[in-house]
Amino acid sequence: MTDLSTRFFGLTLKNPVIAGSCGMTGNINRIVEIAKAKPGAIVLKSVFEEEIDLLYQKEQSSSYAQNLDPEYLNYFDYVIKEENLGKYLDLIQEAKKLVDVPIVASVSCITSNEWISYVKRLQDAGADAIELNLFIIPSDVKRTNEENERFYFESVRKVSEIVSIPVTLKVSYYFSNLAKMMKDLSSKGIAGITLFNRFYSPDINIEKEELTSGDVFSNSDEYLLPLRWTGILSSKVDCPIAATTGIHSAETAIKMILAGAGAVQIASAMYKEGPDVIGKITNGIEEWMKRKFYNSIKEFKGKLALHTDDITAYERVQFMNYFGNK
Amino acid sequence: MNEIIETGQFSEKVFKIVVSAPRIAKSRKPGHFIVLRTDENGERIPLTIADADVKQGTITLVVQKAGVSTTKLCNMKPGDKIADLVGPLGKATKIKKVGTILACGGGVGIAPLLPIVEGFKKVGNRVISVLAGRSKDLIILEDQIKKWSDEVVVMTDDGSYGHKGVVTVGAEEIIKREEINECIVIGPTVMMKFTALLTKKYNIPTQASLNTVMVDGTGMCGACRVSVGGKTRFTCIDGPEFDAHQVDFDELILRLGGYKEEEKRAYNAYLENQNK
Amino acid sequence: MEDRIERRDQEWRKELRLKTKGRERTAIQRAEMPMMDPLERVHYQDREVNIGLDLNTAGQEATRCMDCVNPECVTGCPVNIDIPSFIKNIERGEILKAAGVLRETSALPAVCGRVCPQEKQCEAHCFYLNKLKKPAVAIGYLERFAADYEREHGVAEVPEIKKNGIKVAVIGSGPSSLSFAGSMIKKGYDVTVFEALHEIGGVLKYGIPEFRLPNNIVNSELENLKKLGVKFEKDFLVGRTSSFEDLKEEGYKGFFVASGAGLPSFMHIPGENFNGIMSSNEYLTRVNLMNAAKDEFDTPVFKGKRVVVVGGGNTAMDSVRTSKRLGADKSMIVYRRSMNEMPARLEEVKHAQDEGIEFNTLTNPVEYFADEKGHVSRVRVQKMELGKADASGRRRPVPIEGSEYDIDTDMVVVAVGVSPNPLVPSVLPNLKVSKRGTIEVNEETMQSSIPELFAGGDIVRGGATVILAMGDGRRAANGMDQYLTEKYGK
Repeated sequence: MTDLSTRFFGLTLKNPVIAGSCGMTGNINRIVEIAKAKPGAIVLKSVFEEEIDLLYQKEQSSSYAQNLDPEYLNYFDYVIKEENLGKYLDLIQEAKKLVDVPIVASVSCITSNEWISYVKRLQDAGADAIELNLFIIPSDVKRTNEENERFYFESVRKVSEIVSIPVTLKVSYYFSNLAKMMKDLSSKGIAGITLFNRFYSPDINIEKEELTSGDVFSNSDEYLLPLRWTGILSSKVDCPIAATTGIHSAETAIKMILAGAGAVQIASAMYKEGPDVIGKITNGIEEWMKRKFYNSIKEFKGKLALHTDDITAYERVQFMNYFGNK
Repeated sequence: MNEIIETGQFSEKVFKIVVSAPRIAKSRKPGHFIVLRTDENGERIPLTIADADVKQGTITLVVQKAGVSTTKLCNMKPGDKIADLVGPLGKATKIKKVGTILACGGGVGIAPLLPIVEGFKKVGNRVISVLAGRSKDLIILEDQIKKWSDEVVVMTDDGSYGHKGVVTVGAEEIIKREEINECIVIGPTVMMKFTALLTKKYNIPTQASLNTVMVDGTGMCGACRVSVGGKTRFTCIDGPEFDAHQVDFDELILRLGGYKEEEKRAYNAYLENQNK
Repeated sequence: MEDRIERRDQEWRKELRLKTKGRERTAIQRAEMPMMDPLERVHYQDREVNIGLDLNTAGQEATRCMDCVNPECVTGCPVNIDIPSFIKNIERGEILKAAGVLRETSALPAVCGRVCPQEKQCEAHCFYLNKLKKPAVAIGYLERFAADYEREHGVAEVPEIKKNGIKVAVIGSGPSSLSFAGSMIKKGYDVTVFEALHEIGGVLKYGIPEFRLPNNIVNSELENLKKLGVKFEKDFLVGRTSSFEDLKEEGYKGFFVASGAGLPSFMHIPGENFNGIMSSNEYLTRVNLMNAAKDEFDTPVFKGKRVVVVGGGNTAMDSVRTSKRLGADKSMIVYRRSMNEMPARLEEVKHAQDEGIEFNTLTNPVEYFADEKGHVSRVRVQKMELGKADASGRRRPVPIEGSEYDIDTDMVVVAVGVSPNPLVPSVLPNLKVSKRGTIEVNEETMQSSIPELFAGGDIVRGGATVILAMGDGRRAANGMDQYLTEKYGK
């Protein structure tokens, strides 16, 4: 028997292939479909703090708003927030009812304020774990490192205070000292770190000379960035690592696990190939394990991780025909 | 309208009041409640409807003397008029054929349970009722419940009647004995809390009919708010029945005590006045 | 419109215009509203703050009005009251005639004269303000004066109405319904108003406190409607007590739904369900409708000593001022924007300040804490700063990270708005409702997707001022009259 089980989200997952947070995991019918492909867990689409504000702005600028009692829209962002959260709580409950796979709620925040307090309600609705999607694009020249970093620590502290279910972080790579930051965060009682957020990226159309949106979906060669950092961090941090971005095949998933990831999160590949890709990747991992005579994930997880403080391949910046081992 | 037709007494503090309310009698369904105000100076209190007679145009309320308003109501006589009576309010119980129903009623909660038990029985369910109270005289409407149940188990805290023990003891025996498809529980909040914990253990879908503080009963004040599955819901328009496994009973118990001091003061003042 | 021009050309109006020179008119100072002393009034929940103008002052103020050829003020009024006409009637001393002009388009002038935000409506368009840069003519004070004078002196004449016998039902008894009922009864219909509560008047009774709008003012308007033949049924929840079908069987041909925006909003922050924290609806209903502050009434109400009211609208002002009157040592507004962005009427804010209310602006609650009994003891607030202007033109509040601090309190009133009451829409599956729960209507006729059902006020708009809701009622009356006339003939 090949044992594919692994630990992430503070849970024992049946396999390391997780359906990552994306548009598809925001729809109950798609969630049911995805569950048929037997992922290790499903991370629901994030509830975005930013999105609420945009909806509020839209509401205020609508023509009918001009004729209203000004009191009506005074706190309307809370109404919108509650509507969206309400839908999200329904989604968690329905998913829990219809699907026999761990359901992870995902919260995106840009401030460590009241938004954080809503995680308690995600727990009450039945979520098995919480993925905190925290990000600051460090574009504010007036904001210091300390301020940015405090946001992460504050958010983790506040969330751990109010929920009892496991909490994981999904972060970006915009840190001046990523390794130390991840190490410090991992020691704060979290159940995992997912590397990395994939942001909407601007692009430029040189004919029209205007800004456009970059590719919404990841490409299969984008995995190199998370691979490097999984390799560097997996043996150093105090919690499991999950890798995401550019994982479109079993081969890439295996690479991530070899580099030390406890699990991988799949999103773009589900869009390109449908939810079945999850089953395909899981089967691919299993076949490879059989071929290599591995009985369980832990037998090869982290085999190619950075295990010493010496300079190794993961830290090289120049291309060299070298791939380090312990 | 609103004239008291008949009164009765189940025990020292529990009374039956039959009121003329033809429109409500006609439109009420199991699970509905009404809000009434005994007199011009009274407060608005919610009471679940225990029974209705469309032909006579009456509804039956079962009331426990607890504070000023319920005492005023219990002291009213046939022929007296209730100043204001509005309803039916709340969402009706979702009654359908599911198989076997476990109906748990505690104290005066047995009264609103009656039409629900009747409803479930009439659509072809097997109904097992567990009635619980501190002592024998707090077990009410046993015969009526029997009429619509395949089996009735009575539990009393002091063992003065039926089996000795709390409601969950009787309920668990039945759950262990046979498959239960759905449970409904109405009674004191603590009793509902522990029943919910029990049925959650056995994964039985459970509805609890909540009793909260209310002012208007039509969604306006929010005094009846309760946390259900992480959401704030209003008992008066979203309830009174909720998924018992999702209700934050501890918060509800705290909220029910919210006006306790004000109420106690008012009650004492009222009693003093009565004795003058 | 023509009426207005013709009226302006009446001999007496011409003479009146010539009687006083423009320069003399503009030299008069705007009248000040006499009011109760702040230190005294904070002891009385049911004494009106504004006392009202006397005959002399009202005449003076009316003289200020230039009787413009194109009176812009009228365009600022949601029900297009012929403002110059009623004011000139006051100037010449025909107060009852002035009140008559008001009644042509407004069912509740004594109410509007008190609660309308005139400074944002009619008065904002006044010639004085816009051309002379002087304070506008006090149209609101004059409206109130004429309506009060009529109530105190006039014998309200009951006009001869030819009945058509067609039964129409009005659901809810707030300003929109009363306005509708008043219009329909004059058109000859058999009008019954159904109210779920035990008092008629809707928000005018349960919401607006007596120190701003005394109940006897509302009651007298209700009496007028009763005299005209409007029937009122309290304790009746249409759709529940009886279904729409039942009412149709009883002969009702048309329905006007103005069931209001009864559902209070909360912020859904941690601890908000602790005892001692309530919606402004609950607080005001207990005090205004249930008389909870009076010993002889059974309904309880918290009498907080350190009261925090969250919000910046009129409801917040009503709540905070009520708490002061109920004996609070400290009553405080916590509002996340600055004074400038407050939606409350300037006058109400000023009154609150005079009464010693504290204003904690640019501050927003993030969490509540309670004592061991579960009663609120502290509120954690966060400082805010104003960022860029948002779509409404107001600068938006942005939280300042790490600026949280605690305020001790024993009672919190959350006055952050209301949403439409779902009771009526929930029993009518065919009724077209927006995703916000408001009833969708034709804006001109106020007819809904169910032909015989018309709607107005907050259940259509989500949030409207009293006068806007009344405008809806009037338009709906015209719309329904046309519909029923086409269907059943005259």
